[in-house]
Amino acid sequence: MSTDVRTRPAPPPVRETDPPRPRRRGRGAVVATAVAYLITFVILFPLLWIVLLSFQTNDNILNHPFSLSDLSLANYQRAMETLNLLVMYKNTLILAVVSVTVGLVISYMAAFALTRMVFRGRTQNALRYYFLVGLAIPVYVLLFPVYRLDIAFGLFGSYFALILPYIAVTIPFNILLLTGFLRDFPEEIEQAAVMDGVGLWRMAWKVVFPLMRPVVATLAILNVIYVWNEFPFAVTLINDPTLTTVSLGVSQFQGVYSVDHGAMMASATLVLLPQLVIYAAFQKQVIAGMTAGAVR
Amino acid sequence: MASLSRRLLLTATASALFVTATACGSAVNTADGSSSDGVITLSMHNPDSKTQDPATWQLVQEFNAEHPDMKIKLEGQPVDQHEQRMTIAAQSGTLPEIFWVYDSLAKTMVKSGDLLDLTPILEENGLKAKFAPSMLAGFQQGGMQYGVPYQALITGFYYNKAILDEHRIAVPETFEDLLAAVKKLKAAGVVPIAQGANNSSFSVWAFLTMLDRFGYEAEYPKILSGEARYDNADFLRLYEHVRELAEAGAFPANMNTQTYAQAVASYTAGKAAFLDAGVWEAAKIQQSEVGPSTGFWAGPTFSDGVGEQRLVMNVPSAPFVVSAKVKEDKEKYAAVKAFIQFYYSDAGQKILVDNAQPPVTTYRPQVDSTKNPVFAAVLAEAAKPGWTSPKAQPDLVVSAATASAMYDSFYGVMGGSLSPEEAAGNVQKTIK
Amino acid sequence: MNWLSTRRHFALMVAPALIIYSVYMIYPILYSLYYSFSDYDGVTATDFTGLDNYRQMAQDDAFWTSLRNTGIILGIALFLLIPLGFLLAVLLSGRVRGSGVLRALVFAPAVIAPILVGLIWIFILDPEIGLVNAFLLAIGVPAHPQWIGGPTLSPYSIGLVYLWQQIGFVLTIFYAGLRMLPRDVMEAASLDGAGRRQKLRYIQIPMLRETFGIVTALVVTGVFKVFELVYALTGGGPVHLSEVMVSYMYHITFTTQQYGYGMALAVVVFVVGALASAATFLGNRRKEEAS
Repeated sequence: MSTDVRTRPAPPPVRETDPPRPRRRGRGAVVATAVAYLITFVILFPLLWIVLLSFQTNDNILNHPFSLSDLSLANYQRAMETLNLLVMYKNTLILAVVSVTVGLVISYMAAFALTRMVFRGRTQNALRYYFLVGLAIPVYVLLFPVYRLDIAFGLFGSYFALILPYIAVTIPFNILLLTGFLRDFPEEIEQAAVMDGVGLWRMAWKVVFPLMRPVVATLAILNVIYVWNEFPFAVTLINDPTLTTVSLGVSQFQGVYSVDHGAMMASATLVLLPQLVIYAAFQKQVIAGMTAGAVR
Repeated sequence: MASLSRRLLLTATASALFVTATACGSAVNTADGSSSDGVITLSMHNPDSKTQDPATWQLVQEFNAEHPDMKIKLEGQPVDQHEQRMTIAAQSGTLPEIFWVYDSLAKTMVKSGDLLDLTPILEENGLKAKFAPSMLAGFQQGGMQYGVPYQALITGFYYNKAILDEHRIAVPETFEDLLAAVKKLKAAGVVPIAQGANNSSFSVWAFLTMLDRFGYEAEYPKILSGEARYDNADFLRLYEHVRELAEAGAFPANMNTQTYAQAVASYTAGKAAFLDAGVWEAAKIQQSEVGPSTGFWAGPTFSDGVGEQRLVMNVPSAPFVVSAKVKEDKEKYAAVKAFIQFYYSDAGQKILVDNAQPPVTTYRPQVDSTKNPVFAAVLAEAAKPGWTSPKAQPDLVVSAATASAMYDSFYGVMGGSLSPEEAAGNVQKTIK
Repeated sequence: MNWLSTRRHFALMVAPALIIYSVYMIYPILYSLYYSFSDYDGVTATDFTGLDNYRQMAQDDAFWTSLRNTGIILGIALFLLIPLGFLLAVLLSGRVRGSGVLRALVFAPAVIAPILVGLIWIFILDPEIGLVNAFLLAIGVPAHPQWIGGPTLSPYSIGLVYLWQQIGFVLTIFYAGLRMLPRDVMEAASLDGAGRRQKLRYIQIPMLRETFGIVTALVVTGVFKVFELVYALTGGGPVHLSEVMVSYMYHITFTTQQYGYGMALAVVVFVVGALASAATFLGNRRKEEAS
C-alpha cells in the first residue's frame, strides 16, 4: 500500500452484547435513575402536550388550553378528510426509498474511492473537503436554482424533481461519516482479497461493504428522517396533489385568514407516530452503526 | 494529476448530458402548457380552498359543472410559499394559467412580459361596464389591464357591542374616543384591540386606513419619486397616536407571538373588544358566539389629520392575473375567458355574496340583514353617506420591501420595540 | 490495492456523487454568488450593482441582529447542548435501569420535522396561552416573562428549543463513542480505585476527543441552518428582533422580493457557516496531532 493512504490500527473489537456487569445499587444509582427519568419526562412533555391538544377544540386550544372538557376525535376526522394520507405515505415512501438507496450507493462509492484507492492523497483530500463544504449550504439558497434545473431537465412534476436534490443534500453528511469509517478499515482484509485476485468492484461491494453495514444502516435512518420531514423543496417543487408528501400535510390547514390548529395538531400527531415507531424499531441499528467506528 | 482532473471533468460532463437527455425523455411534464385540452390551473394562496376560501371553491365547482368541455384545477399553498412559487415559476416560464398574486409581484411580472393583457376579455359581452373604474384602475400598467380584482377589501374594526355596553362605552368616532375606550377596557381587564403579528404582519388594515387620514394618498407618489419623505411630520403624528394607544395598553400582551388567526379567535371567544380585520371574517364572526353583538367601524377620525377624515377602506384586493402563455393555446384561452366571464357575471358575484364576500362588480346584492347581520353591517359601513374610499390600500401601491417595512413600522410601535421616528425612518430607508 | 487503483476506476467511482452534488449543491451556490452582485427581483432582467448589496448589508441593523442571534444560538449549542448531551450520554450508558428505552425516547424530538417543532413550542412558550407561564402562575411566581415575542428573550428561547430538538441526536453520537472505549482501560481504572468523576475527566473525555470534534462540527453547521424553528415560533418578530441569518435571508428573498440582496445574505450565511465549521475541523485535527 502506498504511504499516502492514512492507515491506522484497526479499531478495537466492540462487544455488542456485553453482559451487564454486576453493579452496586447504592444511593448514587437511585439518584441517577431518578434524574434520568426526570430529564426524559421533561424532554417528552412537549410531545405529550401536543397529543393532548390534538383532542381539544380549536377554541379551547387558543383560549382555554388547560381545560380538559370537550375532548374529541373531531380534529382527527377533519385531518383525515382533508388529507389523503395513503397517497402521502406512499409518495413519501417512494421518495425515501429511492433517494436514500441511490444516495447511499453513490456516496459509498465516492467515499471508498476517496479513502481506499491509492493516489496522491492531495487530490483525494481536496475532493473530500469539496464534498464537506456542502454541510454549510442552507437549503433555501437551493430553491430557485434547483427549480430551474428541474425544469431544464424536464423533471418537474415527477418524483425525480425531489429525488435528485434530496440525494445531493444528503451526500456531504454521508461522505463525512463514510470516509471517517473507511479510513480506519483494516488494510489486512483488503490485502488478502487482492491476493485472491478480487477486482475493484467486488472489493468495494463484496469484501468491504458487508463490514460497513452498521454505519450504512445509521445513515439510512438519518437520511430517511430527513426526507420524511423535508418541507422547503417539497412545497416548491410539487404542484400535483397526487405527489404530495407527508411533510406538506400540516401546512394544509394554514389558510391566509384561517388556521385550523386542531387539525394541525392531529395531523402532526398522525405524521409523528409512525416515525417514532419506526425509529424505536431501528434504534439498536443506529447505535450499533455509530458504535461500529464511524463516529469516534 | 492534470490528466486525472481532465478525465474526471469529461466523464462528469458526459454523464450530466446523458442524465439530462434521459430525464427529458421520461419525465411527465405537467408544467408545459402545450397540451391542448382546455384544462387550466387556478393557483391560489390557500392550501385547502374548500374550507379556507369557500367562495372561490364554490365558483370553481359551479364553473366546472356548467362547462363540461373545460376544467379548472384549483390548487394552492400557504401564502408565503405561494408567492415564492409564483416568483420562481415566472423566472422559469412555468406559471399556472390563472393565479392570485400580490400586486407588487404582479407588477414585476408585467415588466418581464409574463402576464396577459386582459383588455380583450373584458371588452367582450360588456364585462368592463360591470366594474366601477376604481376597481380596475389599480391593475393597469403601460396601457395594459394585467389583472382583475379577486375580492373586495372592506377593512376596519369589528367591535363587540356587548363588551362596550357592559363598560358603558359608546361606539367611538374620533381617535380621542378610541383612546378613552381603550383605557377603560384595559382597566377592566379586557383586551381592547385584538392584533396578531406572528407570520401575519400584514394584519394592520385599520391602521393603513388611518395612514390615508394623514394624507397618504396625495403624498405617496411624491414619496416614491423622492420629492417627499415617508418620515414626514404628518405621518409621524399618526405614529405618535399609535404609540399613545400602545401605552394605554390597547394591544394584547402576546401580540407578537400570536398569529392573525389567533387574534380572530380571541375576538370570537369574547376576549377582545375590537378586532382589526376585514369583510372576509364576517361569516366566521357571524357563526361565533359574539356574532349577535358584533358591529363594524371604519376607524377613528383625527382632529390633527390631513385631508378628508371620513374615509372607509373599500378597495380591490390583490388581483387575479393570467399567464401570457395562455394566448398560445386556443383551448386554454377559451377556458380562461369563460372563467373570467363567469366569475364577474351576476351569478358568479352572487356566489361571493352567498359566502359573505362583497361583490367586486356593480352587482347589488340583496343581503338579508336579519340572517347575516355582521356582513350587512360591514356593507352598510362601507356605503355610509358622505364617506368615500381611498383608491387603493396604502401597502398595495408600493414595493414589497416597502410594504413589509410599513407593516413592521406599525407593529413595531404597537409592541414598543420601535419609536415613531425609527418606525417611519425604516420605511423611508426602503425607498430608493 | 495499488494495481486496482487506476484513474479510470477512481473517476467512475467518484463521478455519480460528484456530478449530482456539483449540479444540485455547488452550482446553486455559484448561481447565488452571481446574483448577489445584482439588484435582481427574482423575475425581471437585472442590473449589476457590484458590491452594493454587501454595502447595504453592512448598514442593515436587522442583518447584524440576525448575526447576533445566530451567535447566541451557537453559544447555547456549544456551551449547553454539547456538555448536556455528553452528560446525558454518560448517565444513560451507566447504571440506569431501562436506559435503552430512555435513549430512544430522548431521541424522539430529533425525528420530528423542524416546522412542527416550532409549532409545538408556541403552545409552550407563548406568554399568554403557553404552558410555561401557566405553570409559573400556578406555583405562584408573579413574573410573566415574554419567552418569545418580547424584545430580548426570543433568541435564547429559540436556542433552548434547538437544544431540545438536538439533544437526542448529540446523545446518541456520544453514547456510541462511549461504547467504543475499550472496556479493559475502564476496568483497569476501576481496579486502580478511580471514581466516576476521575474516570470521566482522565479517561472518557480525553479518549472521546474525536467524537467531540464531530459533534461540534455537526452542531456548528446545524446552527447556521436553523430556519423553521424561528419561522414557526416568532416569524422573526417582533420587527426582526428574533431573526436568525437564514430566516432573515428568507424574508428578504421571498417576502420583500429583493432577490439580489437575499442572495448576498445567503452567500454570507454560507461563508460564515463554512468558516466556522472549517475552524472546528482544523481545531480537531490540531488536537488530534497534538495527542
